Amino acid sequence: MNRLRVLALARRLVEELRRDHRSLALLFVAPVILTGLFSFVMRGQGEFDTRAAVVDLDGSTHGALGTGIGLAADEAGIKHMDLSLTDEASARQGIRAGDLDVVLIIPPGFVQGQLTGTAPPLRLITAGVNPGADGSHVAAMRQALAGAASALSPGGVAKPPAVEHETVFGSPDADSVDALAPVFIGFFAYFFVFLLTGVSFLRERIGGTLERLLATPVRRGEIVLGYSLGFGLFATIQVAVVLIWSLLNLHVGPVGPVPALTLGLAVPVAGNPLLAYAVTLLLALGAVNLAIFLSTFARTELQIIQFIPIVIVPQAFLSGILFPVDTLPNILQPVARALPLTYAVEGLREVIIKGADLASRTLQVDLLVLAGIAIVFMVLAAGTIRREVA
Amino acid sequence: MTTPTPILPNSPAIEAVELRKTFGDIHAVDGISLSLQAGRIYGLLGPNGSGKTTLIRLLTGLARPTSGSARVLGVAMPSRENLAHIGYMTQADGIYPELSVFENVRFFAALYGVRDRNEHLAALRLVELADRVGTPASQLSGGMRRRLSLACALVHRPPIAFLDEPTVGIDPALRVQFWSHFRALAAAGTTLLVSSHVMDEADRCDELLFMRGGKVLAQGSGKELRARAGTDDLEQAFLQFAGEGGPATGGAT
Repeated sequence: MNRLRVLALARRLVEELRRDHRSLALLFVAPVILTGLFSFVMRGQGEFDTRAAVVDLDGSTHGALGTGIGLAADEAGIKHMDLSLTDEASARQGIRAGDLDVVLIIPPGFVQGQLTGTAPPLRLITAGVNPGADGSHVAAMRQALAGAASALSPGGVAKPPAVEHETVFGSPDADSVDALAPVFIGFFAYFFVFLLTGVSFLRERIGGTLERLLATPVRRGEIVLGYSLGFGLFATIQVAVVLIWSLLNLHVGPVGPVPALTLGLAVPVAGNPLLAYAVTLLLALGAVNLAIFLSTFARTELQIIQFIPIVIVPQAFLSGILFPVDTLPNILQPVARALPLTYAVEGLREVIIKGADLASRTLQVDLLVLAGIAIVFMVLAAGTIRREVA
Repeated sequence: MTTPTPILPNSPAIEAVELRKTFGDIHAVDGISLSLQAGRIYGLLGPNGSGKTTLIRLLTGLARPTSGSARVLGVAMPSRENLAHIGYMTQADGIYPELSVFENVRFFAALYGVRDRNEHLAALRLVELADRVGTPASQLSGGMRRRLSLACALVHRPPIAFLDEPTVGIDPALRVQFWSHFRALAAAGTTLLVSSHVMDEADRCDELLFMRGGKVLAQGSGKELRARAGTDDLEQAFLQFAGEGGPATGGAT
């Protein structure tokens, strides 16, 4: 062990890295920015805005129960409480349209039944798209309910009312996997296609093959399309594999020492898987061309990897995968609305959880925006491939 | 297969007028005018950094001149379409290490519009790689990679070929074969501009261009240049032209 040689090696590394300003920035600035962004988004969640409605189908109190809950709602932090709805259908429509987060249905005969202990259960209806968000809405509503109960009968209710949870989309038993699996399909496609293309095109640039390519009559657009097609094919296969894995629910009996197990994530899919496919492919096309574009700004494969915390990780926070875009702090919402993954996540949820088809306005917008982003990145990518032709 | 664009007899295959390319303060190509005839082999000789590669990139249109102009087969460069008539073997091999020998040739051939498998194999036979079609390019020796690179540059049988240091690292026996093949191509009407930094290949060329400091110091057959420099040794002649008081231009700046 030669101390001088060890020091020489260490010194060389320091000298190399000292000149690589981007790596230095990544090392020290990126963690600060990323953790800051994460906590900003997380704490922004405190401002959970629950838009609730109470539908009182038990006419016996002439709306007094609903009003009581409405009053208690403010205490529970529910800022928007709608007491004007008179039937369940319009309440469900409100949820479907995204105007309401949670609806409490007071069934007929509830008050009378409560006295005799035979009350039909109260029903809470949520969207069922994001179990995390639904959980907060349901909790707020239960709190309002508890507040109303003690206000209405100061002596205490003999028995707390039973509450059932229903959802408009999906199932109330949906867990986080059911809600996250559809969007992870998009995230993985984006991540891997970006990485694959970035490294591959960087090799093309630094390995001399791009120069060689440009010495043939090939057009820049042809290179961009060729890359899109080639890596689009891989994205297609990947999406197929992930999609099948997510939807699969295959029970395998015990084989020898291997116990019985279930293959696949068994995520229920409401819509047409081909539409989910289309969303993801458009997203992947954007990723291919963004990677070609960004490879101009990298000199080594390491620098391509460095784009991950800059390009990929913030999208994971902001695109609605973990936190609904609507609940992001106000200044981050326009940022989220500029990210391709936001539209892919929204589109995938529309299709897989809500069962939307091409008639859905939201899905139409998502597909169009994703296509637009892909085209913009294609133009940018083609612009970075230069034959130095004027 | 490409047929040469018809050009007037005796009109130059490659022509440059006051070509200049500067990178900041560096004059990589410093006002070069030349006129090269079809069916001849031109040797571009000069040390590393003398501007050979930049000159070739200007002539192929891969780089845009700071000033001046270049024409290949009578067509002003840069011209994307004209690249179909040009073969360019770059100094870096410019081949895909993950692809096999055959896949590399087929890929470049496809970009030139050559889809005939026999043409692909013919190009590989020429560089004696026909028995290695399935070998990944990453497993080839340095010399074999040069040969594969040459096959990719000539697979579309271009009337003009720019070969940037084609014989580096190649076995002497194969080098002799390379040159006899270049000679055969020239006899069939192909114009070749072959760069090199070694002098011992010079006498295989019809004409030589001595380059240094971004300028062409002298142009002529090996015999002429020796006579003008008054020496039998080509290296001496080069120094004569490059040095102060040489019969040629003022030299590098």
